[in-house]
Amino acid sequence: MSSTKRSPWLTLTALLVYFFLYAPIVVLVLFSFNASRTNVVFEGVVNQGPCGPFYWYCQLFRNRDVMEATRNTLVIALTSTFFATIIGTMAALALQRFDFFGKNAAETSLYFPIVTPEIVMGIGILVLFSAAFGWINAALALPPNQRLTMGLGTVIISHIAFSIPFVTLVVRARLHGFDNRLEEAAMDLGANELMTFRKVTLPLIAPGVLAGAMLAFTLSLDDFIITFFTTGPGATTLPIYVYGLLRRVVTPEVNALSTIWILVVLVVVGISQWFQNRE
Amino acid sequence: MAGRFWGGFMTVVLVTLLVAACGGGGDTPAQEATSACPEPNPRLEVTSTEVNLFVWTEYIPQATIDCFEEVYGVTVNKDEYSSNEEMYAKLSAGGANYDLVQPTDYIVALMIRQGLLQELDKSRLPIFKQLDPNYLNLPFDPDNKYTLPYQAGTDAIVVNTDAVETAPQSFADLWNPEYAGRLVMLDDSRAIIGMTLLTLGYDVNTTDPTQLEEAKVKLAELVKGVKLFDSDSPKTALIAGDVDLGITWTGEAVVAQREVPAIEYIYPTEGPILWQDNYAIPAGAPHVDAAYAWLNYSMQGDNFWRMLDEFPYTNPNRAALEYAQANHPELYDAYINSNITNTPAEVLQRGHRIQDVGEATPLYDQVWTEVKGG
Amino acid sequence: MIQSFRENRRLQGFLLILPTLLVMLVMLVIPLTLTVITSFGQRDADGNVIYTFTLENYWRLLGFTETGWDDLYLGILLRSLWLAVQTTVIVILMAYPLAYFIARAPEKRRNFLLFLVLIPLWTNFIIRIYAWVMILRGQGVLNSALGGVAGLLSIPFTPFDFYPSQGAVLVGMVYEFLPFMILPIYTSLEKIEPNLYEAAADLYANAFHTFWRVTAPLSMPGVVAGTILTFVPVIGTFVVSDILGGRQVILVGNLVQRQFLDARNPPFGSAASIILLLMTLTLTLYYTRRFGLGEEIAAG
Repeated sequence: MSSTKRSPWLTLTALLVYFFLYAPIVVLVLFSFNASRTNVVFEGVVNQGPCGPFYWYCQLFRNRDVMEATRNTLVIALTSTFFATIIGTMAALALQRFDFFGKNAAETSLYFPIVTPEIVMGIGILVLFSAAFGWINAALALPPNQRLTMGLGTVIISHIAFSIPFVTLVVRARLHGFDNRLEEAAMDLGANELMTFRKVTLPLIAPGVLAGAMLAFTLSLDDFIITFFTTGPGATTLPIYVYGLLRRVVTPEVNALSTIWILVVLVVVGISQWFQNRE
Repeated sequence: MAGRFWGGFMTVVLVTLLVAACGGGGDTPAQEATSACPEPNPRLEVTSTEVNLFVWTEYIPQATIDCFEEVYGVTVNKDEYSSNEEMYAKLSAGGANYDLVQPTDYIVALMIRQGLLQELDKSRLPIFKQLDPNYLNLPFDPDNKYTLPYQAGTDAIVVNTDAVETAPQSFADLWNPEYAGRLVMLDDSRAIIGMTLLTLGYDVNTTDPTQLEEAKVKLAELVKGVKLFDSDSPKTALIAGDVDLGITWTGEAVVAQREVPAIEYIYPTEGPILWQDNYAIPAGAPHVDAAYAWLNYSMQGDNFWRMLDEFPYTNPNRAALEYAQANHPELYDAYINSNITNTPAEVLQRGHRIQDVGEATPLYDQVWTEVKGG
Repeated sequence: MIQSFRENRRLQGFLLILPTLLVMLVMLVIPLTLTVITSFGQRDADGNVIYTFTLENYWRLLGFTETGWDDLYLGILLRSLWLAVQTTVIVILMAYPLAYFIARAPEKRRNFLLFLVLIPLWTNFIIRIYAWVMILRGQGVLNSALGGVAGLLSIPFTPFDFYPSQGAVLVGMVYEFLPFMILPIYTSLEKIEPNLYEAAADLYANAFHTFWRVTAPLSMPGVVAGTILTFVPVIGTFVVSDILGGRQVILVGNLVQRQFLDARNPPFGSAASIILLLMTLTLTLYYTRRFGLGEEIAAG
């Protein structure tokens, strides 16, 4: 789309919206240098200990709970993204290229998680897992150390569950753009299904798959409500942890954490832009 | 486009793995426990390698955790909750494997009924004799079969005397229009509805629907003037000056007063609400030996005194008080002389304890929902 | 055997979708069924579920209680609905110009501008809400800024009561979902062929007409997708209303959460859950029937 002359009003509005989007981020970063521990008013830049103005950042790394929560969050996000992407892509292929019994039901069931509020899903899953675990634990008379409990596993499964529909949608949109011709051509030339898939289909849908993966990753990183209901000991994620923190004195450590998070993202964007410019 | 995404995503993955790896390294507890850790007295046999605590936020000194890990070589996993209901929901959902919880008195009876707690083996609890008998054998757990007192306290009126001219002397005073818009209240339906019932002369645990209806109407009046409901950290709003007075509990009042000395804690004429937090071991806990070791170690006088400093409540542990008196007299004096932590006996006499109301729980919830949401 | 498998496309298709079906069955269908079953039950004195069949939870939610008409819960449902509508409308009004701006930007700039929209999403949901607390509170950034301006102009200034309030909740919700609306709208705008604009310019006299007759309808799928992505979470929220509303704003999400936690009344909470689900289902169905389903949900 060529850029015709843009109305200055449009540019102004756009800038205002960007401002709105970034104001809280700026405040977050700024307050990570706050001298005041209670972090209500900005009382000047902190200068304490060996790290000086980066006092809260250093405190952060000493904070075992935060580090563990971060690790959990990343592990959950990566694992659930991996599986959700594979399963979701398979589903997209099935829906877009194949016909089979129960196709309509499958399509509808895929939209369900999107229109179900997270709290409904979260509570349902909690009820299910507690009942199931209770039953299994009793039936197999498992000793306390080996009992099934809510924890990392239940969170990961839940994240996979709500990510799949989004991945499917993204990949389907991508598939929608391409019809079968390329694949049929490949098959005519003598390739079998597997080779066709690897050499033709996969590269074609790759951007869609990756976009879906990134979406799943983002959703998982940020999820609060479903995680809230499915988590257990040792499986605290960052959002849950911060929510708990918010309920006491919120020190600038939280801000330091957010700033680091943002920096990581910026680095990622910077590197990927660099890659793109090199192409 | 594909290249861009690919590069970006791979970078995300790499950075993620890096941070995850570093995060793993970051959890070796830096032993800057400056003073040497007290010896466990007595030392118990522990074969478990970890213990799972499910406790209130801001309730256990980090130094005690570090020392326990060092002295026993047992990893302490701590999950936190900020309401009894949250803890109860997690436990009754049956999903979790905790070794110790800290229920407040009113929910203990319910947990016992539901079979969620196991009986304590007093022979493994030499620490028991150090506890003040005034906090033992209370109606919610006769003979302390299931629980050990941890900390006790009250819910009462808190006032910033610099900002408020006439301080309220009773719960009923809070309805005074001059306080409107400046109040902080606990986000606790039982405490606040209970307090309203007290102003009407009713029992704080009533199940009578007409009394509750009256309380609802009266409370709705008050709620209009409430700026903030907070059961997590009401001291923040007090210290920040967002609110000038309201209802809070012992620990919050002490900390608020330390920051802003003008803040005072007033026991209402109707009598404050009394509460007690206790340690209990959930049924089916996987590391019971570690749990007993933790109980005995963390509640030793030379460990438990830290509560006076970090999380000041009314302390039922005589050994801790004695230790503090001998070794940290300023702390001890502050504790004894404060009307907040050292509740006068005659106030305790007219205090009220909240109990589980069973069938009537939805009634209270409805009143609360209506009063807040209406 | 393998031969017939390879030729049986129906079987292949089914196997491809099997994992998804299994996951959906276990994680969605069964939990929802359990929730429905529980919603017809009652609670005992301790808060455990008695599995029976009664409609009293639903009646109570809709206002028909034993003691007569009580619209407490209906009010909560309506308030949640209203918040969702308000949020969605405001978000559309803010998102559309920005999406349009990005779509019309030079091609090499677009990805960058898009990423700028995404970056706030990559911080943490809870942290973003907390940031608004810092901005809106009595001594927060906004009041300090306003106070500073008032000081410069020598106007007396008392800090505003932005937080906690219903307004703060609205601001928080708008902020959360803005990116979810920008992206789908952008995607559908981007797909519009430039030639269409030229053609429209020939046909219609001014830019407004072009927009109204050409651009807007073509971008509808994006708007629909964004609306669904916004509306559904907003109506079920409890965290934002909890934090920014100072625990005084009670929406359906808060109600449900309370029933499972504080009130220990799972049947009532389940019934509220189901009603919430029915609300989102009906609205989504109606909306997509009317405006068509946006593949641009995929846009993210």
